[in-house]
Amino acid sequence: MRRSILLAAALTTTLGLSACAGGTEEPGDDTSSPAAAGDSLTIWVDETRQAAVEAAAASFEEETGTDVELVLKNFEDIRPDFLAQVPTGEGPDITVGAHDWLGELLSAGVVSPIELGDLAGDFEPVSVQAFTQDGQVYGLPYAVENIALIRNTALAPEAPATWADAVAAGQAAGAKYPILLQTGTEGDPYTSYPLQTSFGAPVFEQNEDGSYTPELALGGENGTAFATWLAEQGKAGVLSTDITYDIAVEAFKNGESPYIVGGPWMLEQFADLELAIDPIPAAGSQPAQPFVGVQGFYVSAQSENAVSATDFLVNFMATEEAQLALYEAGNRPPALTAAADTASSDPITDGFRTVGADAVPMPSIPEMGSVWAFWGVTEAQIISGAAEPAAAWEKMVADIQGAIG
Amino acid sequence: MSAPLSRGSTLVKGWSPGFLVKLVLMAIVDALGVFAILAAWGEESYGILAAMLALLVVANWAYFSKRALPLKYILPGLAFLLVFQVYVVAYTGYVAFTNYGDGHNSTKEHAVAALLAQNERRVEGSPASPLTVVAQGDALGFAIVSDDGDVLAGTAEQPLEEVDDAGVDGDRATDVPGYEVLDRASVLERQQEVTALRVPVSDDPNDGSLRTQDARTGYVFLPSLVYDEAADTLTDTVSGTVYTPDDNGLFEAEDGTTLPVGWRVVVGFENFLTAFGDDRYATPFLKILIWTFAFAVLSVGTTFLLGLFLAITFNDVRLRGRKIYRTLLILPYAIPGFLAALLWSGLLNKSFGFINQVLLGGAAIPWLTDPWLAKLAVLGVNLWLGFPYMFLICTGALQSLPGDVLEAAKIDGAGRWRTWRSITLPLLLVSTAPLLISSFAFNFNNFTLIYMLTNGGPRFTDASVPLGHTDILISMVYSISGIDGSAPKNYGLASALSIVIFLIVATISALAFRRTRSLEEIA
Amino acid sequence: MTDVTTARRGRTTRAARPASAPRMSRAVWMRELGWRHLVGVVGVVYAGFPLVYVLSASLSDGGTLTGSNRLFADVSTANYEALGDTYFWTWMLNTLQVAIATSVGTVLMGAAAAYAFSRFRFRGRRAGLTSLLIIQMFPQMLAFVAIFLLLVGLGNVVPELGLNSKLGLICVYLGGALGVNTFLMYGFFNTVPKELDEAAKIDGATHSQIYWTIILRLVSPILAVVGLLSFISTFGEFIIARVLLQSESNWTLAVGLYGWVSSLLEANWGLFAAGAVLSAIPVLALFLFLQKYIVGGLTAGSVKG
Repeated sequence: MRRSILLAAALTTTLGLSACAGGTEEPGDDTSSPAAAGDSLTIWVDETRQAAVEAAAASFEEETGTDVELVLKNFEDIRPDFLAQVPTGEGPDITVGAHDWLGELLSAGVVSPIELGDLAGDFEPVSVQAFTQDGQVYGLPYAVENIALIRNTALAPEAPATWADAVAAGQAAGAKYPILLQTGTEGDPYTSYPLQTSFGAPVFEQNEDGSYTPELALGGENGTAFATWLAEQGKAGVLSTDITYDIAVEAFKNGESPYIVGGPWMLEQFADLELAIDPIPAAGSQPAQPFVGVQGFYVSAQSENAVSATDFLVNFMATEEAQLALYEAGNRPPALTAAADTASSDPITDGFRTVGADAVPMPSIPEMGSVWAFWGVTEAQIISGAAEPAAAWEKMVADIQGAIG
Repeated sequence: MSAPLSRGSTLVKGWSPGFLVKLVLMAIVDALGVFAILAAWGEESYGILAAMLALLVVANWAYFSKRALPLKYILPGLAFLLVFQVYVVAYTGYVAFTNYGDGHNSTKEHAVAALLAQNERRVEGSPASPLTVVAQGDALGFAIVSDDGDVLAGTAEQPLEEVDDAGVDGDRATDVPGYEVLDRASVLERQQEVTALRVPVSDDPNDGSLRTQDARTGYVFLPSLVYDEAADTLTDTVSGTVYTPDDNGLFEAEDGTTLPVGWRVVVGFENFLTAFGDDRYATPFLKILIWTFAFAVLSVGTTFLLGLFLAITFNDVRLRGRKIYRTLLILPYAIPGFLAALLWSGLLNKSFGFINQVLLGGAAIPWLTDPWLAKLAVLGVNLWLGFPYMFLICTGALQSLPGDVLEAAKIDGAGRWRTWRSITLPLLLVSTAPLLISSFAFNFNNFTLIYMLTNGGPRFTDASVPLGHTDILISMVYSISGIDGSAPKNYGLASALSIVIFLIVATISALAFRRTRSLEEIA
Repeated sequence: MTDVTTARRGRTTRAARPASAPRMSRAVWMRELGWRHLVGVVGVVYAGFPLVYVLSASLSDGGTLTGSNRLFADVSTANYEALGDTYFWTWMLNTLQVAIATSVGTVLMGAAAAYAFSRFRFRGRRAGLTSLLIIQMFPQMLAFVAIFLLLVGLGNVVPELGLNSKLGLICVYLGGALGVNTFLMYGFFNTVPKELDEAAKIDGATHSQIYWTIILRLVSPILAVVGLLSFISTFGEFIIARVLLQSESNWTLAVGLYGWVSSLLEANWGLFAAGAVLSAIPVLALFLFLQKYIVGGLTAGSVKG
């Protein structure tokens, strides 16, 4: 029996070797395959942007012969996956992303700078500024987004001057909800931020050039005033933690409210309504400034195809045509000024753009990450009456300070 | 093979059909294995090579030796287990001892490269020059057209120099004497070299150097950080500050300031110390630990009791439509867990949910936002999700109860309830105990349910970290890891906590198994 | 104690009863059977109403889930038709491939291991069995970093096993083939009397013949159960699948459906509901198909033999 074992082992090994003699050619082939030769680009996109990028990718493929592979990802997976995968050498060459990721991506060393050169002047200033850190630009902006007050003109013919006016007008119109502002059980500080700024409590101190310092500014008297106001609105039933994004959109769509605080991403749902876009009515004594978010493309620091990637972005995505295609897909005003001007022929887009002109960029400093985790929930707790406003707000500021360290 | 003839008979005897099948299967396995080993050799992945080699040797030994009988049956599953589970656990264990997270995301080389890239500045006022990639022998170079229309060319060694008689088409050099102009395809083939190339503008390094990102336009850049490979230091060219690597994976100057991009280093037990030493975590940790146990135990308890009750109810062959009931009761099990949790979070919405609006006639019960009701809701939804499994198990267990024992009890005059309590239930518990234990372990780590249903909420109002009343240990780890972007990422700390959780669950389960074994023996 | 024959006897005696039972009075019927129907109806309503709700949402024409409390207010197949414009059917196919391959692999490997643990006595048997169970309890949520790196490494060597490959995903799932399942099967294998093996051995059968031709046939109920359990858990798994499968055409249903609802802004509950209804069908079908094995198989064996 011993021999049979030996023989069998010898036999299988020979079989094995002969089988793989045919197989070893494969890795040999690999070196000349597209991936290694560097004439293919991988781009991460989310669903909204997919079609628009596809169009630009097609013309890029045609002109340069470089294959472009679009990988569809959930928008909220992109940041963690990009951070985790780029260091392994796997990630994409290019990814879509928001400007407020920049601080984190930089400290992880996963993005490379993009030299826009003279092209920088063709973009809306806020969009390039948002992707700039220490004088270097790290992303190619394609859209600027901010919220505004969307008004159903059939229910409210006039733009309200203040929050109280809006509530009064909504109640007078007999609507189920005087005004809709999404909150949810975890709060939505992004949507309620303009009201916070109207009380003079921005999240961070700003330098003279508009960049943020890690100095918290949302506390103090003004912050407490905002917190108290939230509690009052919650008690009066104007704000409620039950109003999630879905519910708010559905209610506005059904004509149950004349106003909704929201962004261009909602518009698709409101196709049947007559709309006007107004500045968000202030609740405090200062102007209500929403956040501006800039969407753009980042190039991976580990990209093996950096030339193609930069070429694609600078010469194919920074065109009016591509930016307009992205505008059609996402409804956000384009970042390229020429494209934005074209898009502004639509009064709705123009409305958002006008409100955006007075808005402030969302902070992209890494400290911002520690703010989100406490901010919304505290607001929700105050609105639902679960927490005493002044104390809860004060504790939140202390907790954020603790998390920032 | 010294005496083939005399051994012939034994050989033939060994070649049964089963043996042939084995031979063929092993040949395939060996072929694939050897192929993978060669490929690993080619890719220089020696870790994989060693693992493959070891597996292959063990496999051949196991299947061609007489001594390894049990291993023949265990090996296939074991191989997968070792590669895809044990390795993963071990790797997570390793991460627990590092500072992997925001700012320490990758290797030192990557960090240096990123720092250098981030600190290379375009020289203010310098022009954007139309650029052509050229080659001189093996060395790449750039040719640009200056504002006056002159063509300048150079390589990494050779600073830019005016070239006479160059051809220019539009604003771009198309023919550069002394250099070969590369076409787009060759540029793309060497694009990493192209982006890495710096062509000095002049002999003075302070004038900066020409670089390009898209091989179409060149800009003059000056580095503000310089890496000295031999000394392993970074020097700021403006202030002259020297940064040296420190123990935490950061470049640190003498005055303690650090550069923003760090790399992963082993930090010892620091993560474990943070997990238990940081007051901000310590207080909620205890609450969460208690709730995790309560949740896991109550989940197993409620699902088991309901499943058992239903199993008993339908364990009567006289009942018509038994099969239909059973099938319909299994329905929740057919829905993937995360879908169900999402669905329930909609159903339970305070103002608009089906439960409050339709079933309770417009009541406004804060199912998901009140600390106690949210706990109740989590348990209720888990009951819905989990009872069909227990129903299946109990039905099976009931039917396999030894009929003779039950008969004997009946003959002894034991009543229905007594028989059930002192015979059926103990037997049932013995037979389902291992499943109950693993169900406990599953619920202990039932991240999907918590994440999709309440996301841990409602938040603790008195804690200083973003955790809530329905958070269990695993969802706490998730918050801390920062994967969702709501907090700075800290994989090291999160891995350390995963290891701690694993130790807790493993210890409890191991103890429980030991206990059930003694139960079995009594029964 | 429990062996096949007594269990079977227990069943036959019970089965024989109704034929001989006299027709019962209404009160007796109520006490004996009526309440069971009552419990059944209540149970079915409890189990079923969320599903009815999804069904209604899937048939309604647009609208959000939380905003559609009127059941079956409008019935349209628009959502189902819209699935055709998505990758839904590709995902369905992928999911079936992955789930079937995984469950078959799990059954084969788990059964083999269970056989070894049940029939052979070797050093480290008890400890091996316990550690199998324990190792599976490692919370996989954070493991994605390790799994990702592992597949990157493997993919460099053997591209078919790398990222974005269904085969790679199946391998990762098969890493969990031993574990609770082995334990389930181990218990069942123990109920098959050893005398059978010994008799066969005397007849000259080898251990592999005994395993493939005798034992496996006798334990088929537990094979069905383990196959189903593994199928269901693979079907619904999305944490690992989401990390590994990168291109949309390779996604599984769980990843795809999750994508539809995860980002609130793009929420499309109608489509999602239709997808959810359809994706529950394979699991249900498998359950109905295997039902006769399952009830007998689940823990019949866990009783110590």
